[in-house]
Amino acid sequence: MKSIIKMVSVLSVLCAVAGFVLSYLKISTVTPIENQLLTYVQGPAILNVFKDVENSPIQERKSFAVGGGKNINVFPAIKDGKLFGVAIEGFGQGFGGDIGVMVGFNVNDDSLINIDITTHKETPGLGSRVSEDSFKKQFEGKPLHAVLLKSQGGEIDAISGATVSSNGTVLAINDAGNQYKALKKEIINTWNSGAKNEFLQGIHQRAVE
Amino acid sequence: MSFYKEFTKGLWNELPPFRLLLGLCPVLAITKTAQNGLGMGLAVLFVLVLSNMIVSLVRGIIPKKVRIACFIIIAATLVVAVELLMQAYAYPLYQQLGIFVPLIVVNCIILGRAEAFAAKNPVNLAIADGLGMGIGFTLSLTFLGSVREILGAGSIFGVKLFGESFEPFTMMVEAPGAFICLGVILAFMNHLSKIQNRKRGLIIGDKLGQGCTVCGGCTACSRGKASA
Repeated sequence: MKSIIKMVSVLSVLCAVAGFVLSYLKISTVTPIENQLLTYVQGPAILNVFKDVENSPIQERKSFAVGGGKNINVFPAIKDGKLFGVAIEGFGQGFGGDIGVMVGFNVNDDSLINIDITTHKETPGLGSRVSEDSFKKQFEGKPLHAVLLKSQGGEIDAISGATVSSNGTVLAINDAGNQYKALKKEIINTWNSGAKNEFLQGIHQRAVE
Repeated sequence: MSFYKEFTKGLWNELPPFRLLLGLCPVLAITKTAQNGLGMGLAVLFVLVLSNMIVSLVRGIIPKKVRIACFIIIAATLVVAVELLMQAYAYPLYQQLGIFVPLIVVNCIILGRAEAFAAKNPVNLAIADGLGMGIGFTLSLTFLGSVREILGAGSIFGVKLFGESFEPFTMMVEAPGAFICLGVILAFMNHLSKIQNRKRGLIIGDKLGQGCTVCGGCTACSRGKASA
């Protein structure tokens, strides 16, 4: 009996200490990890999504609150002084875990500008082909409602042998799309002071005419 | 047993991947480049030294029946710490090593040294053992990684060594290359210790089927010592 109590207490104390150490480390590394992700994962993906922009989408990012106490980062792209698109990262269940996709939305007609895969754990050689250009290219300029696999009535060709991974990518894009739709008003209000001026100018011009 | 002796045994006589053949999974999988080998080695070194130290410190209070569970908790905590720190300060390395960082928990060197050495020896010797084994492991991985990177990619630590005309021997950075390199290195090391032993005037059996004596490292490794 005595030895059992000793075993239980030693294990409990050890686990408690381990738990405290890890939770402290976890909390203190949140910011550096986020910065590293921005530099090494999301940064290159955003550059692939927006080919020619005037601003730096990463530095001008804003965090928006979404339901459930979560925040998501929105990366703006500005061209000719106007907000032209935003990038949002979405996640979808793939074969080996979540697939992360950085999706660029055109704010004028809500179509996709381009996409890039940020993270995935798909099978090398099969599911990992979702990060190849030939697959990603399909999404360029597509309206959001067309982002479904062909078998589901959409316009996207799944990679043969990797339907689950292809579907995970589509799910991730729709996840980003839903967040984009929910946040669109806020996004436009945040960055479109330039566009508002143009709108006023338009009224002014019409008045003059 | 002196500090120095415990430290140096991990560097040659009981070099983990090439002598004890422990922890081979990361050795074969991640040594595609010298840099990956070095990074993985340093992660293992960190975990090994600290786990040896902690295990040695708490060895008096751990009940014998749950010692393995306790060792695993200590190793797992340290590995998660390494994983978080690597993500925070060396993200590209973390991306390269991937699943092999969390797998350090089940690396048999960690548990092996905790069980075989740290649980029976005072803290200073346990640290010496961890340092020696860890540095030996790091050097071995870096060496294997360098060989494979030079042959398979024509570069070392990402620096190109040869001109444009170099045709990389791609197989060396794939899995078969790892096995071939490991085999050649093992053969070379065994040959070397055979020569060493001959010089010392020890007679080594040349026939197979002589148990421990075949490897020629009898006097060096602790298994040989025990049976001798």
